[in-house]
Amino acid sequence: MFGKMFNATLERIRTSAFKITQNCKSADCHSVLYMIPHGRRCLSTSSCLYGKVLPRKKPRVVHEIAGLEPITYADRMHFVPGLAKPRFPPWVRGWKDPSHYQSPKLEDMPLHKDKPCYIFNQRTNVLEGVRQALWLSKSVLIKGLPAQILTLAEDPVNQIENQDERVQNAIKNSRLWDTTEHRPPRERFCPSLLHRLLHLCGDLQVTRPELAKRILAEKYSLAASWRRGENMFQVRGQNGLLLNSMTPVPVLAGEEQIQSTADQALETFYPIEPTIDLQCTNVYQEKNDTGFREGYPYPHAHTLFLMEMGNTPKLFPEQLRAKMVMFAFGNALARAQGLYGKEPRVLEKPFVVQSVATNGRLFQFVVFQLNTTDLQSDSGVKNLVWVDEDQPLYEFAKVRPYIKKKVVKVPAGLAGYQPNTFKKFLALYLHGAS
Amino acid sequence: MSVCVLSRALSALSLSLRTASAQIASVSGVPAGLSRGFMTSVCVCQNRSLWKQREKYSVRPIGMKKTGGRDYTGRIVTNGIGGGHKQRYRMIDFQRLRYEPGRENQPIVEKVLEVRYDPCRSADIALVAGGSRKRWIIATESMEAGDLIRTSSAIGRMAVLAREGDSHPLGALPVGTLVNNLELYPGKGAQYIRAAGTCGVLLRKVNGTAIVQLPSKHQIQVLEQCVVTVGRVSNVDHSKRIIGKAGRNRWLGIRPSSGRWQRKGGWAGRKIRPLPPMKSFISPPAASART
Repeated sequence: MFGKMFNATLERIRTSAFKITQNCKSADCHSVLYMIPHGRRCLSTSSCLYGKVLPRKKPRVVHEIAGLEPITYADRMHFVPGLAKPRFPPWVRGWKDPSHYQSPKLEDMPLHKDKPCYIFNQRTNVLEGVRQALWLSKSVLIKGLPAQILTLAEDPVNQIENQDERVQNAIKNSRLWDTTEHRPPRERFCPSLLHRLLHLCGDLQVTRPELAKRILAEKYSLAASWRRGENMFQVRGQNGLLLNSMTPVPVLAGEEQIQSTADQALETFYPIEPTIDLQCTNVYQEKNDTGFREGYPYPHAHTLFLMEMGNTPKLFPEQLRAKMVMFAFGNALARAQGLYGKEPRVLEKPFVVQSVATNGRLFQFVVFQLNTTDLQSDSGVKNLVWVDEDQPLYEFAKVRPYIKKKVVKVPAGLAGYQPNTFKKFLALYLHGAS
Repeated sequence: MSVCVLSRALSALSLSLRTASAQIASVSGVPAGLSRGFMTSVCVCQNRSLWKQREKYSVRPIGMKKTGGRDYTGRIVTNGIGGGHKQRYRMIDFQRLRYEPGRENQPIVEKVLEVRYDPCRSADIALVAGGSRKRWIIATESMEAGDLIRTSSAIGRMAVLAREGDSHPLGALPVGTLVNNLELYPGKGAQYIRAAGTCGVLLRKVNGTAIVQLPSKHQIQVLEQCVVTVGRVSNVDHSKRIIGKAGRNRWLGIRPSSGRWQRKGGWAGRKIRPLPPMKSFISPPAASART
């Protein structure tokens, strides 16, 4: 507020000076940049000092001498030249006002710990992608979906009637016909397509009543924590749609495959540490929470659906797959630690969590099998991850055709539909309900 | 409610006191800031420089405010600056030998993730990752994504075989190496030889100090613990570029100089004169050492 007063004063000086220079046009006046309002030049100082605005001088440094109390004008309640400026203690409101809360420093917070924790949250964009997620979850990668799911996909009994036509209708509905504007944005057509495909899959409930024993949950907060090496890691946050079921997903890998993972080594990427890009914090709580309360009728996590819509933050396919692996692992670990407790052990009945991620066109499929919660060391039985990358459901869905030099390169409407992608999607949905 | 009414009245009272003092100051013909005896304090914190007050290092680009050559009073201090494409500032780490907290005294090895154009300087910059941190550094001539670069502070008796992009103290490098990003004082951060295509030459090493020739052919003497990067700075063809049109200069933020023709004086033209004496940046010995 006082700054405005100062500027207004300067403006008044400048405007009055401008009027004076207009009257006297002599060469002397040109060298002086501005004059004081009563029209006289100050000849006691040199003109180069006088006309310029000097740079601000730094305020005088007041040194604190220990043991000496400065005499201030606090008692006199007004400025007295020669006495020191009083320094009052910071004002305390005295009562708790919720709209004016000042949080304590990080060191004073009750959950502050000496050892830092690395948290993978829904905004994390890991540098090394799936390799980093595999190291963090102590897993081994297998490319392609497991054989049981592929047989489910190829089996003609598991198809919906008019499957291809209905899927293409669903794509056209969400990509072309959903808006009165030119074309719907990704934030609109991606969730719309996913919900339409899920609705289509639910059509098979007529023949398989076990499919009805499932529920979709949105906006649930996951928390899972584990130790790896000397560091503590956590997976936290709301990630996406979770399909919960009353029965657990059947185990995919046999005993000998699980034991053979003990011989495979985990991949490291020197010089980059596996903790890069994770949120490092000293204030945390070691929580293990599935996001659902005790006695929830659908306790087993079946499939996690992630949507990548290009906002907060935009994830490349590699990073999206890493996010899928980490959250599938987090779901499995939270449930394992809820059932068996926190001590690390090799599980006799491994947990399987599936995950599907899409950006509206490309689908990524991940199946995670949790074999062990003993994640401290790098040796021993490891978890298994099956990843099927970058499956396009269709190539183009254009509202207006793409024309270059009067030749139609891509026609309007849906082009390049791949039926296999939806078969895999349906197989993942049907897995566990035979 | 009555409390807030009272407090508002009191604040209004104090406002009127301050306005009265400013008016008195202006009437007596003295600029308000120079009058003594009143509690005057102009707000020192200005929004115009807040974008550069960030203490914590971050890799993400930061929006800049252009000054147009003007200072805090609003006058043009430097002519020829203004307009131009919007630029975002990427915080460059000029101190190569910066250890991560918790990993001191371990050799620093970093991987180059990408080399890209920086609108704020002529050289290209490289995003490097090592340990669990990422930072931007000035890229050297043939740096590519996927390279591994080393930084060390060890000075051995034998000179190190210098690889381009690595960073060593001057005392560890062989005489005659091309260097860039030179520090004047150990630990201060690189201040010299940072422009595109430039390189200095390590001329000789004299008991505890090293003498480097800068791109302007001046020679300086610095302590041998000062860390430098080996090689030439990237974007070597920067000096060969042709601006082509006045508009391109305006895109770079360069305003036209005053078109007035003036006879140039003795300051213009090529000068052929001997090199100035070598400047030494070694701190003088402490007062107690002097007898």
